[in-house]
Amino acid sequence: MMWAAFTSEWTKLRRPTLFLATFLGLAAAASLFVVLLFSQASANGGIVTLHQLAKPNGLVIGVARASMLLGVVAFGIAASQVASEYSLGTLRQLLVRQPRRAVLLAGKMLGTITFLVLALCFAAVIALIVAVVAAQARHVPTSAWFTGTGLGDLFRELGDLTLGVIGYSVLGMALGQFVRSAVFAVIVGFAWLIAVENIIVRIVPSTQQWLPGASIMAVASGGVEGVSYGHGLILGAVYVVVAIAAAMTVFLRTDVTA
Amino acid sequence: MVMGQTIDRTDERPGGPLAVSTAGLTKSFGNRTVVDDVALAIPSGSVCGFVGPNGAGKTTTIRMLLGLVRPTSGSGTILGGNLDEPASYLHKVGALIESPAFYPQLSGRDNLKALARLGRLPLTAVDPVLERSGLLARAGDKYRSYSLGMKQRLGIAAAMLAGPELLILDEPTNGLDPAGIVEMRGLIRSFAADGITVLISSHLISEIEQICDYVVMIRAGRLVHQGGVGELRATQQPDFLIAAEHDADRDVLIKLLQAAGCTVTPRPAEASVLVETPGLGAADLNRLAASSGIILRQLNERTRSLELAFFALTGTASADVPTGQEMGAIK
Repeated sequence: MMWAAFTSEWTKLRRPTLFLATFLGLAAAASLFVVLLFSQASANGGIVTLHQLAKPNGLVIGVARASMLLGVVAFGIAASQVASEYSLGTLRQLLVRQPRRAVLLAGKMLGTITFLVLALCFAAVIALIVAVVAAQARHVPTSAWFTGTGLGDLFRELGDLTLGVIGYSVLGMALGQFVRSAVFAVIVGFAWLIAVENIIVRIVPSTQQWLPGASIMAVASGGVEGVSYGHGLILGAVYVVVAIAAAMTVFLRTDVTA
Repeated sequence: MVMGQTIDRTDERPGGPLAVSTAGLTKSFGNRTVVDDVALAIPSGSVCGFVGPNGAGKTTTIRMLLGLVRPTSGSGTILGGNLDEPASYLHKVGALIESPAFYPQLSGRDNLKALARLGRLPLTAVDPVLERSGLLARAGDKYRSYSLGMKQRLGIAAAMLAGPELLILDEPTNGLDPAGIVEMRGLIRSFAADGITVLISSHLISEIEQICDYVVMIRAGRLVHQGGVGELRATQQPDFLIAAEHDADRDVLIKLLQAAGCTVTPRPAEASVLVETPGLGAADLNRLAASSGIILRQLNERTRSLELAFFALTGTASADVPTGQEMGAIK
């Protein structure tokens, strides 16, 4: 039954406007980060040196820096997909065809997450190609990237980014479920992730390791200053479980009057 | 009849099997009771009009039947399934709830495919319902490009997707032009001909009168009547349009009728009078006039419409729900 909800969600998600905007948008954003990184790299310093880019993990430096952007995009799309079912009134149609609400929500969540993870993978492939071209342009040797160590770093980073996208997506869908307005969900989510958490951390730095956005960011980036990867992974998982439980509880108990 | 008085006629249960049966169905939002102790008994195979003014609680009742809104209290059975377990009967139900709602960027066909996949229905079911609703030629166009009539037809197609035994249509003619209303009426009649039980909610009683053979009337959240349309009409006394042969006899005729307990409304433009009788028939009125030597040139019996029956049952001349003050006065 969840498979039915999953395939139904994909029928909606694969519409050209959303599909192309998400896949091409994420690929363009990731590629832009790679291009900027390579163009700004110098022999002696700056954001990153050409020598660092030539190392086995040089390939993933650009993609890792784009994790915040990828997360925010995933959050916005996930939140709007859930909230728009209320604002469009389509939820009542869906619930007549699938009255088991837990099954419907689980299928929708799974559909949205796979959509965003596939978009991330597509963006990573494009960013990889762009990185190879940019490396040629800056005369950065790429032989180390394709060694066992280099490919291991690449896949580990992609795994972390995938976990990050899943975390951001679940938080987005939970928020969408609560506020039931696509625009409001995106505004509130972006404001929290981009502004509010940063302000809180600047005022009380010790809070960084307890905030949801920062925890998931630590996972997506393989650990950040102030929040270790392991701590982020555990706390992020807790936030994800709580978000799913809360969204499910609200969805199961709510009267659908939209 | 006291204005706003409620009449519970739930004891008038039809004899045949029921598609929808509820008992004490109630829904409150906070302190406001929107649906109050409603006991529906809708026969299988009927085309049932669900009538009431705007705000009477029709849509909330329908949402409870569809599992979208949880009843505060009460129970029910729909197509043999328990109202508390919508999954036990909704696979046999199709519904158009208020305005049709679909994904604007998807085509009509893809919208139905999404619903078919969700309901684990064969995708081959999509085109036949599009054809039946007259949308097949435009099925590949985006939903947002559809006219209101086409959107409404897609809503009907979606409701028909599961091959339902019960079709619930909430205000299906809302926003349609006269041609669209006639088309919709034809569609609904064809569903009834297929043996599908159809529940149509509307605040337009005249519309219901043309399609339905059974009617449920609701007002301010309470059931005021349910039964066959014919039976309801039969309970209503007809009125008469009467004219004396000579205009000079008119005043005498009015006095005679009033003395017999009739309510008389003069219609000077037609030189006639409209007569509501306390149970007198055409022959009685003719005899009454003749007894005073008055010859009638016109004696027309007028069957009262369902609309008048509704007003008579609810004791109001307005289709609107009473204001808060009026509600207070009723109490």
